Amino acid sequence: MKTLFAFMKKEYLETARTGKLIILVLLFALFGVMNPAIAKLTPWMMEMFSDSLAESGLSVTNVQVDAFASWTQFFKNIPIALIAFVLIFSDSFTKEYKSGTLLLALTKGLSRYKVVLAKSALLLSLWTLGYDLCFSVTYGYTAYFWDNRIVNHLFFAAAMWWLFGVWVICLMVLFSSLLQNNTGVTLCVGGTVLLAYLLRIVPLAKAFSPAVLMNANSILMGVEKTDISIKAILITVSMCIICVSASIPIINKRQL
Amino acid sequence: MDILAIQDLKKSFGGKEVLCGLDLSVPEHSIFGFIGRNGAGKTTTMKAILGLLKPDSGRICVMGEKVYFGQTRTNRHIGYLPDVPEFYSYMTPLEYLHFCGEISGMDKADLVTRSNELLELVGLGQERCRIKGFSRGMKQRLGIAQALLNRPKLLICDEPTSALDPVGRKEILDILLAAKEQTTILFSTHILSDVERICTEVAFLDNGRIAMQGTIAELRSMRPSDGFMIETEQRETIGTLIKAFDDLKATERNSLIFHGNKERFFDIMRYVAENRIPIQKIERIEPTLESLFLEVTK
Repeated sequence: MKTLFAFMKKEYLETARTGKLIILVLLFALFGVMNPAIAKLTPWMMEMFSDSLAESGLSVTNVQVDAFASWTQFFKNIPIALIAFVLIFSDSFTKEYKSGTLLLALTKGLSRYKVVLAKSALLLSLWTLGYDLCFSVTYGYTAYFWDNRIVNHLFFAAAMWWLFGVWVICLMVLFSSLLQNNTGVTLCVGGTVLLAYLLRIVPLAKAFSPAVLMNANSILMGVEKTDISIKAILITVSMCIICVSASIPIINKRQL
Repeated sequence: MDILAIQDLKKSFGGKEVLCGLDLSVPEHSIFGFIGRNGAGKTTTMKAILGLLKPDSGRICVMGEKVYFGQTRTNRHIGYLPDVPEFYSYMTPLEYLHFCGEISGMDKADLVTRSNELLELVGLGQERCRIKGFSRGMKQRLGIAQALLNRPKLLICDEPTSALDPVGRKEILDILLAAKEQTTILFSTHILSDVERICTEVAFLDNGRIAMQGTIAELRSMRPSDGFMIETEQRETIGTLIKAFDDLKATERNSLIFHGNKERFFDIMRYVAENRIPIQKIERIEPTLESLFLEVTK
């Protein structure tokens, strides 16, 4: 346990000293501010473009925005933040294989499974921190301008999207233990997410796809009920456990 | 007792056999020179000892314990210095040694003392900057400090001097000589002067096998003398000797080299005595490590 904490400490130090932590905080805080800001500025922007819209035959009437607009924006922006997160941290394992820094740590007696656990813990905690920051900033500003209570199942929808992010991170861990470079890791994670997205088209498989967790807007509007996501939640949680568990024997067999 | 024993080690990469039945034993308290050409399989052997590469077959034992691929249990006896050591560049040397000590489970008080002691030994005691700005020589010295941190019984150094300038090389060799008191050193290289300077035992690796192993004196005695060098006092006498013995070859101003059996040598000596030719020096030419290496690897 002591060695696991020592390696985790190194991971956090690396994130802080290489500037990744500050980028992450700024990125998620910026998205947090942008969501209510875009919602707030929508009537003004519509007014600005009303003349050109009128020329093309569209008339702009009085645009009303509320907390829905802000949260719709949140769930539109969070995928971009997740993509940025994957791009920033996709080299977490591969950089160590390439540079040989992991080699010295392993020859000191560090078990390989502890590398997987420490890196998974770092990525999950950073995603949780960033996501919570973005959510809190959006929540605060939305509460200031409008009323958050009109939004249905806000916390449930937000938790679903957080879980989707967790699944993506577990995929990153799995592909990082398999592959040699971060481009491969990013492409494989992207490919798997696309596959899950396409699975939603198949009626029978739709309910089981982790991509269902991205369906937050329908839940906010009350179009879909929360229990529709239960199967997808269970599948996603199981897949997360499988991904991290499978990474351990894979990395144990890896020739360094 | 042998600190490291390797039996019939085989390893192929994509059909190319790099190690084909390597047998090696490293006795305790020796500085063992592991010599081979580039690509001979030195690094492959070392990585197999560390459990980082999976051998196709064979057995490796460190301190009598079997090494298993992917497991790091036997690494508690080993300190490893790769040819180009890479560290976390955002750490200072002291922070890096503390990290190494923590992951190897060292006691905190011992770790603080040992880190400072080793940084002094390798000349980085006053270095407070991050590793990012370190030169190759400084990284190599920090590499030795991290390898010696948990007082390993076996220190494995993979070509530690090959990329360094003469000053850097001397520093590393001096540190290794100082470390000899504490540990056994397995030292791979193709720089033979380094081997002659510090190694007590040597093994030549060729075609995936150990072609020769022993102390430097033993290896030299395995090969017959390469001949004799005769240096005369006067240059004119060289011509006389060459006329009498056509197998003598002039090398420098007053020197002749002779390769042949002892009887022939005594004939030359008799001729020298009978003709009262003044001699400055007669020297037996011993086989050098270089000549042995070239003979083994040709």
